Amino acid sequence: MIKVDKNLCLGCFSCSNVCPNQNIVREETEDKRSIHWKKCKEECDLCVEFCPGKALSLVPFDPACEEPTLTFDLVACKICGARYATEPMLRRIEASLPRELQKDSTGLAWIWVCPVCRRKIEAERATKQMVLGRSRANP
Amino acid sequence: MPKVLVPTVCPYCAAGCGFFIAVEKERATGIEYMPAHPASEGALCSKGNAALEVLYHEDRLIHPLKRKGDSWTRISWEEALDLVARGIHGAMKERGPDVVGFLSSSKCTNEENYLIQKLARSLGSANIDNCARLCHAPSVVGLNRTLGAAGMTNPIADLANSKCIFVIGSNLAENHPVISRWIHKAKDAGAVVIVADPRLTHTSWMADVLLQLKPGTDVALLNGMAHVIIKEGLQDDLYISKCTSGYEALAEDLKDYTPEKVSEITGVPAGEIIRAARSFAISPASAVVYSMGITQHTTGTDNVQAVANLALICGHVGRPGTGVLPLRGQNNVQGACDMGALAEFYPGYRRADDPETIRFFSRAWNSTGLPAGRGLTATEMICAAASGEVKAMYIVGEDPANSDPSSNFTRDALENLDFLVVQDIFMTATAQLADVVLPAAAWAEKEGTYTSTERRVQWSHKAIEPPGDARSDLDIVCNLAQRLGLDFSYAGAADVLAEINSLVPAYGGITRERLGDFGLVWPCPTAEHPGTPILHSQGFKLKDGRASLGPVKYRPAAEDASWEYPLVLTTGRVTVHHNAGSMTRRSPSLIEREPDLFVEINMADAAKLRIADGDEVTITTPRGETTANARLTDSVKRGVVFMPFHFPGTNILTADVTDPEARIPEFKVSACRIARRN
Amino acid sequence: MPVYVDISRCIGCRSCEVACKRVHGGKGHVNVHMAGDRASVPIFCHHCEEATCTMACFSGALYKDGERTAFAVEKCTGCGLCRLACPFGVVWTDKLAHKCDLCQGRETPTCVVTCPANALSTDFEAASKRARTRAALVAAYGGRV
Repeated sequence: MIKVDKNLCLGCFSCSNVCPNQNIVREETEDKRSIHWKKCKEECDLCVEFCPGKALSLVPFDPACEEPTLTFDLVACKICGARYATEPMLRRIEASLPRELQKDSTGLAWIWVCPVCRRKIEAERATKQMVLGRSRANP
Repeated sequence: MPKVLVPTVCPYCAAGCGFFIAVEKERATGIEYMPAHPASEGALCSKGNAALEVLYHEDRLIHPLKRKGDSWTRISWEEALDLVARGIHGAMKERGPDVVGFLSSSKCTNEENYLIQKLARSLGSANIDNCARLCHAPSVVGLNRTLGAAGMTNPIADLANSKCIFVIGSNLAENHPVISRWIHKAKDAGAVVIVADPRLTHTSWMADVLLQLKPGTDVALLNGMAHVIIKEGLQDDLYISKCTSGYEALAEDLKDYTPEKVSEITGVPAGEIIRAARSFAISPASAVVYSMGITQHTTGTDNVQAVANLALICGHVGRPGTGVLPLRGQNNVQGACDMGALAEFYPGYRRADDPETIRFFSRAWNSTGLPAGRGLTATEMICAAASGEVKAMYIVGEDPANSDPSSNFTRDALENLDFLVVQDIFMTATAQLADVVLPAAAWAEKEGTYTSTERRVQWSHKAIEPPGDARSDLDIVCNLAQRLGLDFSYAGAADVLAEINSLVPAYGGITRERLGDFGLVWPCPTAEHPGTPILHSQGFKLKDGRASLGPVKYRPAAEDASWEYPLVLTTGRVTVHHNAGSMTRRSPSLIEREPDLFVEINMADAAKLRIADGDEVTITTPRGETTANARLTDSVKRGVVFMPFHFPGTNILTADVTDPEARIPEFKVSACRIARRN
Repeated sequence: MPVYVDISRCIGCRSCEVACKRVHGGKGHVNVHMAGDRASVPIFCHHCEEATCTMACFSGALYKDGERTAFAVEKCTGCGLCRLACPFGVVWTDKLAHKCDLCQGRETPTCVVTCPANALSTDFEAASKRARTRAALVAAYGGRV
């Protein structure tokens, strides 16, 4: 049976992806995601091994114990407002990267911007000179 | 079973890019590139990359179909061919052969086009045409007259040798993307690029000089540039005296077109006209590239002549890096014209109104009763269908209900026919109106030659079998001809090509055996001839071997903005779609990138009309109305709006007024009004 | 050997986008962005020297293999941390992660071969020399012959 430490869980779905028996059920809506761990009697500990947050552990089966469910609010992109990640995941990335890589040249904390907007920012940055030059040549 | 790579020619535009179809277990499973190809060097645009998606599309026609009220009944080929033969024969027996119209397809091979026009004419009908009428008919007429040959004078790759490239009325970056490769190579070597277009297009990104002219004022602009060149003495006098005729009359006529006056007509600053003219004239090798922005006008033939005049007075013809380069639209529109699927020409551009032509083909085809004189053009056939003069039509691989102007009128005209046969790979809007629909093979499911815009004749191999009961157009036409009592016993495409070799001089040496990896470029008259990538280097096939210069007067477009219709609508293409869109709109990776019809409106006009980006708007012309999503932009000037014609709505709006000679409709200029839908 | 973009050549034809998606079984790793009416650029993996996606990957599925930022699908758990750790938004998680693999198994990345305008290249030196020469010619002639 799996025990979850809710202070360590990132809400990333890794466990649900690796579980061979569909015992970890995921649900995602526009602004929330939740994970539900069914009680299982398997000796398998794949989810424990592949938990990036080390939030899971294998404990002896206990029929009296309730099945845990964790729900995470999804963080809104600072630019477009689209919900794109759980806060613990973003915090984890913030912690895993060297300080100087957490901001880009414009000082923007890109971690708090969704991937779609990150691509747009990169495209704007890359084409800025070209757009200026062409606008100047042919106004 | 191992993977086999079958070389093929892209079925979309006329650039003629080659690629390999990977075939596993008789299925086309992938595309591999062809880096040695002379026009594309292995590159493919988004359409080429998605080409296989249409092959296994669920909408493919796989059985012959017969109309039964509002629905369709599946029938056998026997029954279908009998029905078609009876329909055509019946109409002809009653009213003479001219009541039947034939539309051949610029998507089909040369061999198929040759057979379709041979079928029409052998039955006595002069009414054979193809959709070149809607794209480059003015090039055929105008270039034959001025240069003596209707085709791109120089190969695509030769653009890299140019020092000045003048692109007018062509958004090649979106429509023939591979050609921009060669323009960029020229730019790497310091070439100047001039782009004239009413819109800021992706092509205009390459421009050093940008001339954003008012739609329909091309003659004025071209004459204005020629005026500057002559006034400043930049013309090539030696070339003019040695290789052209008619210069004096032209020079006299051009005196009126001062930059100031032209600037007033076109809306292009006089300084830019002068700058463009000088760059074009003084460069050691300048090329002028054009497409439908030049041809799709009531002044289309004039526009083409003005283009040729400009190149000729500067001596920019017949050498590497120079030339007049019409970029054709469909993969085989050049070939369909070469093969005589045109109302006014028999194969090899022999004039239909020349008795010698009729004698020649009567003997060659062992046929009596070939029709003399030109037949009805594609656009005229539709009018004749509406008036009842044409009773039956056989349409191969074309979709006039979408691609012709004023589509409400076109649909009514097609419905007015007693008998309509459509042969296609999908149930197009035109096929919906048919009595019998014949399922055809797509390009990868048959073999034959295609002639690209640079006159390169390439053999495309059969990679897979057609789906269901579908058959190649060649098989269908031969079977039908035999039912109509004609001797069309050809063993296959190579057999037909052999007949073409013997009857079309420019294709004389383009035999099946010689068509290796990348084909041959016509004219190639004999079996030893290497082909002719650059035309007109040894004079012209006209009187005295000289090109013919002739004055062309600026005439305004048929329609202009008015109080009732204050905006000028111009049409064109987008990069992920092709022509009427029956293939690209069914291609998942293309349609997802441009799913809906849109209209580009200048920000200032939109503000006045209280239209916001993305609003659904109604566009109205005297022909009808259509709805589209507004796209606010600065890429069109105030007073001009733009719509792509890949979606069924656009041609409801366009006008069916045509060029008096080439009979091309004026797709590029229609007066319209726009309102937000509530 | 990452792929370099010469933005002055990009014509916005989206060929790389369509081709990439095709050769990767429907999962593309290139997005062509339009900058108004004036320019376009394909956005894809830079194969960063200090690749933040590899730093965030706890299972070792993403790793540096010379210049290339490589991905071993069998080690991926689909946690999605890499997607969030990429500053350019060019790592995707679709159950499992996927990103530009420079078309392993092909001689040249598909986007480079298919690009009609030669805007993409694997030879940074040659591409930048070409761009410098062109700029010098424009400066010398001022857009005139």
